[in-house]
Amino acid sequence: MNKLYIFLKYFFIVVWTVFVVAPFLWALTTSFKDFQSVNGGVTYIPWVDFEPNLEGWKVLIKSPARGGVDIIEPYFNSLFVTCTASLISIILGTLSAYALSRYTFKAGFVKNNDITFFFISQRIMPPIVLSIPFFLFLSSINLLDSLTGLIVVYIVLLMPIAVWIMVDFFNKVPREIDETALIDGCNPYQAFLKVVLPNSIPGLIVAGMFCIIFGWIDFFFAFILTFTEVQLLPVKIVALNSSVTPWWSLSASALVSVAPLIIVAFIVERYLSKGNLSGAIK
Amino acid sequence: MAKIDLSNISHSYNPNDPNPVYALNPFSMTWENGDRYAILGPSGCGKTTMLNIVSGLVRPSAGRILFDNKDVTDLKTEDRNIAQVFQFPVIYNTMTVYENLAFPLKCRDFSKSKTDERVNSVAETLNLKSFLNSPARKLTADQKQLISLGRGLVREDVAAVLMDEPLTVIDPDLKFRLRRNLKEINEQYKTTLVYVTHDQNEAMTFADNIIVMSEGEVVQTGSPKELFERPNTTFVGYFIGSPAMNLFESEATSNDSVKINNTLIKTQTNLSNLKTKNIKLGIRSEFIKIAQNQNENLIDVNIEKVEDLGNYKLITAKMGDFTIKSKVTRETEIPSQNVKLHIPAEKCCVYEDNKLI
Repeated sequence: MNKLYIFLKYFFIVVWTVFVVAPFLWALTTSFKDFQSVNGGVTYIPWVDFEPNLEGWKVLIKSPARGGVDIIEPYFNSLFVTCTASLISIILGTLSAYALSRYTFKAGFVKNNDITFFFISQRIMPPIVLSIPFFLFLSSINLLDSLTGLIVVYIVLLMPIAVWIMVDFFNKVPREIDETALIDGCNPYQAFLKVVLPNSIPGLIVAGMFCIIFGWIDFFFAFILTFTEVQLLPVKIVALNSSVTPWWSLSASALVSVAPLIIVAFIVERYLSKGNLSGAIK
Repeated sequence: MAKIDLSNISHSYNPNDPNPVYALNPFSMTWENGDRYAILGPSGCGKTTMLNIVSGLVRPSAGRILFDNKDVTDLKTEDRNIAQVFQFPVIYNTMTVYENLAFPLKCRDFSKSKTDERVNSVAETLNLKSFLNSPARKLTADQKQLISLGRGLVREDVAAVLMDEPLTVIDPDLKFRLRRNLKEINEQYKTTLVYVTHDQNEAMTFADNIIVMSEGEVVQTGSPKELFERPNTTFVGYFIGSPAMNLFESEATSNDSVKINNTLIKTQTNLSNLKTKNIKLGIRSEFIKIAQNQNENLIDVNIEKVEDLGNYKLITAKMGDFTIKSKVTRETEIPSQNVKLHIPAEKCCVYEDNKLI
């Protein structure tokens, strides 16, 4: 029984690992292939099955004038837009979430839960519904095809995620912590900054991670709201495609674009596994 | 340190409702500087609401609170200079034990040396010295509660330290020691301590003054002795003391006597102005003894059981439908038949409509 359990456990771990890692390996080997190696039947092992070359990677950094696509600028655009929008969303979202968790709001029949749901509902409707209003809005304030415009739109898209996660998180932080801080002599702002916020770091990390992921992978709004001045990475990668699909450079760009998320995942995992919220009360 | 006056305080959590429910009915009270008070009552009787009103976490629906004759009703919690310890430990997880204890001082800009001195002194009292540099979240539940308590005691100049059943999570041995420590702190620093509990023993051993509450009402305030010997209402008689006060439905027969089950009992209460027939006689089981050579206030009973509770014996006896409990010393010989119990007139309390006459 025990042996069967161990066998099954490792069997599923291996299956899952293959399932997760295989696409990466496939992309990694493909990125070092040329046209011949990709189209001339299945090949796996470098130097044995095919002769690796750096063409797929070079295309990414060459300027368009020399036949490349130059993803460096879109890459940093994406980093800048995602990080700025995530940071602002987390700040605004955390403040709103704290207010929604601790104070009572009432306007007619609208109460705290309805306001929280309003935020979440922004993510329920299909993005296409928002595309025209966003387009008209940005065009009216002259922010189409600009980084600032994209940041504004991404804040609208990311803040509901931050509010949603943080409301739930603050609801689990006992009110007595705030009250104790008040009794100890903090004003409500100090109580939030010095006591509640440090206790909420795991929640902030989770919210931040979701904001960064959703911001980084967005193609739809980046595609609709930008043209020539500004380009984000997902749009640029799609633009790589042509009549002959360059699988080698597509694979290389896929690896490059997923790299920041892998780094974030590793850092975040360390923080989350500390589980340092447990035991704030009781 | 301050004298705290609660003047006509009342509180409802739904004051705008056409029929508001009052968690606290109007009452007035003064807490003298440096005294120890216990607020005693069953769960949900308004004890915690009363504390939260004093600390400013709850603004009373009506009435004023004065600290040393200064009106603080509208003053925010952080400006009241009060300490409050909750039932369950509340610690700042991200800080060390030292930082936790120093936090109230840091918020009030105490100097580093003064903070050091106070934190060390409190840590010494609460046996936390060896943990000062440990992260607070790694401690056990009772050590965490000691931190909460320590944060309450670290400021010497607080108006009062309010404690809301603070020793619930602490094991009995340490509980006993801490109660003694709190008493010492009170005697040394003359800090006003207010201690909420539903445990009468805790209240009796800790406080000089006990406030008994029931259903949002302050039913009696007084010393442990007063509450024990002259409970204002049958509720207090029932709630305080173990076993509860003996209470008998009775009928007044003259200006100072009542009849229970055809037996006449003389009291020292003037019964000439009774308005209702709802009369009860109350007597503590500690005062009922087996009759020796008395010749009045005797009742014939059948002994149902005798329990030996270590330092005393508890007799449960029947007189008709009435059950009587009597506490006697272990050495007392208890005859098996024709038992007569003596009820001393001076210890009898007579209640009309459940209120002491």
